[in-house]
Amino acid sequence: MSLESGVKSLELKETERKTITVAVAGNPNSGKSTLINAIAGTRLYVGNWPGVTVEKKSASLEYEGTNITLVDLPGTYSLSPYTQEEIIARDYLVHEKPDAIINVVDATNLERNLYLTVQLLELGIPVVMALNIHDEAVSKGYKIDIKTMEDILGIAVIPTVATKKTGLNDLLKAVTNNTSARHPKKLNYGSDIESAASAVEGQIKNGYPQLLEKYPLRWLAFKLMEGDSHVMEEINIGDYSFIEEAAKHLKKAHGDDVESIMADERYALASGLTHEVLKKPEFRKMELTEKIDNIVLNRFLGIPIFLAAMWVVFKLTFDFSAPFADWIDAMTTGPFKRWAEAVLGFIHAPAWTASLATDGIIAGVGFVIVFVPVIFAMMFFITFLEGSGYMARAAFVMDRAMHAIGLHGKSFIPMLLGFGCNVPAIYATRVLENPRDKALTSLLIPLMSCGARLPVYVVFIGAFFTAYAGTVLWSLYVMGIALAVLMGIIFKRTLFKGESPMFIMELPPYRMPSFRSLMIHTWEKGKHFLIKAGTYILAVSILVWFLLNLPWGVENKKDSYLGKMGQVIAPVLEPIGFGNWEAASSLVSGLIAKEIVVGTMGEIYVQKKDEKKELPALTDDLKEIGISFANAVKDSASNMISTFGIASISSEESTEEKEERSPLKDVIKNKFTPLSAYAFITFVLLYMPCVVVAIAMRQEFGTWKWFGIAFAYQMVLAWGVALMIYQGGKILGIGG
Amino acid sequence: MNLAMLKPGEHGKITKIGAIGQIKRRLMDMGVLVGEKVKVEKIAPLGDPIEVTIKNYNLSLRKKEAEGISVEVAK
Repeated sequence: MSLESGVKSLELKETERKTITVAVAGNPNSGKSTLINAIAGTRLYVGNWPGVTVEKKSASLEYEGTNITLVDLPGTYSLSPYTQEEIIARDYLVHEKPDAIINVVDATNLERNLYLTVQLLELGIPVVMALNIHDEAVSKGYKIDIKTMEDILGIAVIPTVATKKTGLNDLLKAVTNNTSARHPKKLNYGSDIESAASAVEGQIKNGYPQLLEKYPLRWLAFKLMEGDSHVMEEINIGDYSFIEEAAKHLKKAHGDDVESIMADERYALASGLTHEVLKKPEFRKMELTEKIDNIVLNRFLGIPIFLAAMWVVFKLTFDFSAPFADWIDAMTTGPFKRWAEAVLGFIHAPAWTASLATDGIIAGVGFVIVFVPVIFAMMFFITFLEGSGYMARAAFVMDRAMHAIGLHGKSFIPMLLGFGCNVPAIYATRVLENPRDKALTSLLIPLMSCGARLPVYVVFIGAFFTAYAGTVLWSLYVMGIALAVLMGIIFKRTLFKGESPMFIMELPPYRMPSFRSLMIHTWEKGKHFLIKAGTYILAVSILVWFLLNLPWGVENKKDSYLGKMGQVIAPVLEPIGFGNWEAASSLVSGLIAKEIVVGTMGEIYVQKKDEKKELPALTDDLKEIGISFANAVKDSASNMISTFGIASISSEESTEEKEERSPLKDVIKNKFTPLSAYAFITFVLLYMPCVVVAIAMRQEFGTWKWFGIAFAYQMVLAWGVALMIYQGGKILGIGG
Repeated sequence: MNLAMLKPGEHGKITKIGAIGQIKRRLMDMGVLVGEKVKVEKIAPLGDPIEVTIKNYNLSLRKKEAEGISVEVAK
C-alpha cells in the first residue's frame, strides 16, 4: 500500500479515532526535514517556536484511523542545554510529553547519531527510529543488523529513504502501533553511574514527590547529577546537597566533572551498539565527498571556486527574478491602475478615492508582490546550498576573513545577497544558527549598497559626474563595504562584547536535495513573506500616501504633511550640504524604498504636466498582460543562460540613455553642487534601512530592537560621513 | 602537542580536552572525547579553521578551539 492511500483511505467515525502527538527528533543533516516533507507535504505548517526565531514545523494528518500531529524539533546533536535549539527540543519533550518520538538517524553515520538516541531513551517516551539514508548505507556496503538493534534498544527500527519516500508507510505504522505498548529499554550506564542515579531517584521520590508528575524520574536524576543549571533553576528546590552525597562515590572514582562522565558513557553506549550492529566493508574506497572536497576546499582553488559559486547564485537569484519583478511593476502601475480609475470614475467616486486606490493601495500591493520573485529565487538557492552540503564548505572557506569582523563564515552569503536587495539578505541570515551572528550580520547588511539605491546614484552621477561615473559609483560600493568592516569591529567590541561564538561545525557529505523539499521550503518562505510582511508594507504605503496628500486638497507639496516634515528636518541637513525641504522630504519618502527618493524628487522639483493619455481598451490591456508575462518568462530564461555566458549589459545601457534627457537632472544641477551631490548620495547609501528591511528584521527576530539599533546607528553614520565629505570638501575647496 | 599542531594527513589520539564549559561540552557532544582517534584532513585556504575526521565524520573547528585539545601523534 502506498503512503498516500494509507493516509487518505480511511474514513472512520470520529469517535473511533485516537489522536497522538509525535515529535520528530534527529541530528542536523540526517534528512529529518526531507522526511517530514515527504510525510506531511503541503499539510506542513511553518511557524516559530514561542519567543524565539527558530522555525517550528508541524503537520496534522491521519493514518489508518489515527490522527497524528507531527511536531518537528530543531535538528540537534544532543539534548544538552547549550544551544537555543537543544533547549527548545528538550523543553518540548519534557514538558509537552508527546506520545512518541520519531528519531531520524543517518544510517551512514550511526555512532554520532545514536548519541542523541541514547539521550532520547532517557526520557522514557516511546521511540521509533527512522534509519534514514538507508540506501546510501547499503551502497557503501554497510550491513546494519536491524533486529539486534531493536532488541538492544527495545524500540522499533524502520529503514527509510526519505528522498524516495521509502519506508514511510512502515514508519507511520510503527508509530501508530507502538505508542502505548512498547517502551524503550533502560540502558545500563555502568554500576557507578547507576547506583548514584538510583540514590538520587530515591531522594527525589521521598523528598520532592511533586516533581514526579512533571519530569521523567531517571532523566531528572541524570540532569541533577550533571549539574544542569537550566533544570535546577526550573525545579527550584534550594537544597541540592543530597545530589553531592549520592554522587560522592561516582566523583571519587571518575573525577569531578559528571557532565563529562555522562557524555563519555553515552558515547560508549552509542559506539558499543554501533560495533554490535554495523558491519563495514574492509576496503574503503575514496568517496565522492572526499573527491569534491579535495577540489572545493583546495588551498588555492577554494576561494576562487567559492567566489565563482557565489557569483552564479547572485546572478541567478536576481536575473531570474528581475523580469518578473518588472512585469509585476508594469502591471500595477499600468492596467490595474487604469482599471481602478475607470471603475471609480464610473461610479462617480470622489477623486481622492481614486488617488488612494491607485497611488496608495494598488501601488502598495504591487510593492509587496514585486519582492516575491526575488524571495522565492533566493530561498530556492539558499535551500539548495544548505541541502547539498556546500553551505558548510562556504563557511569553512570564508570563516577566517569573516571572523576578523566578528562574523561567522556563513555570514558572507547574506551580506553578498545584500548587494542585490537587503530584504532577501535579511531572510537569508537564517542560515546562521547562533542568534548573535544573526543579529550582527543583519545590522551590517543595510550597508551593502542594494539595487534600489542605484537609481538615485544614476540620477546624480548623470547630473554631475559623467566624466568619472564608474569611479564615483565604485567609490560608493567600496565605502559601504569599508564601513561594514569598521562597524563590525565596533559592534564586536561593544554591543556583542564577550566571547565570540564557537565554530564547531559538521561538514556533511554532499547530497542532492530532493526537489520536493526544495519547493516546499521555497513556497513556505514566499507565502510567509506575502502574508506577514505584506500586511505591514501595505499599511506603511497607505500611510505615506496620506502624508503626501493630507491635509485634504493640498495643492503645493510643500504644504503636505510630508513637505512639512521636510521643512522640520531641513535645518539638520544644512551642515551636510542639502538643507532644503525638497531634499529632506525626498529622503523621508525613501523610507518605503530608496529608489522612491528619485520619484519624490521628480514630483517635487519638476512641475507635472497633465498628459492626456489615450486609455487602451480592456482587451488590449489583457493582451498586453499576457504578452508581457511571456516576455518576462523569456527574459528570465535568457538571463539565466547569459549568466553562464557573456554577461549582457545592453539593457542597463539603454535605461541609462533614457535617463539622460530628464528635466529632473537640470533642476538638480541648479539645486546641488558636485560636493553636496556626493554628500547626498553618500547619505542615501548609508541612512536607515527601508521599511521592507525593517519588517523583515522584525519578522526574523520577533522584536523591533535590531531594526531600532540599525536605524539609529545608520542615521548617525550617514550624517557623520556626509558631514566629513561636505565640510572636508569645502575646506579643501573641492567641488564647491 | 595539540590538535592545531597536526599537519593535514596526520593522525592523533586525544589525551585531554582542556577547553572548559560550553565549548568542552559542545566538543564532547560532537564526539571529541578522550581516547578518540582523530585525523587532520585539511586547513582552510586562509589558514583557519581546520577540518578533522572523527567518529567517521568530518568536523571543522577553529585553531583556537583545536589548541585546547591535547593529542598524542600516532605514527
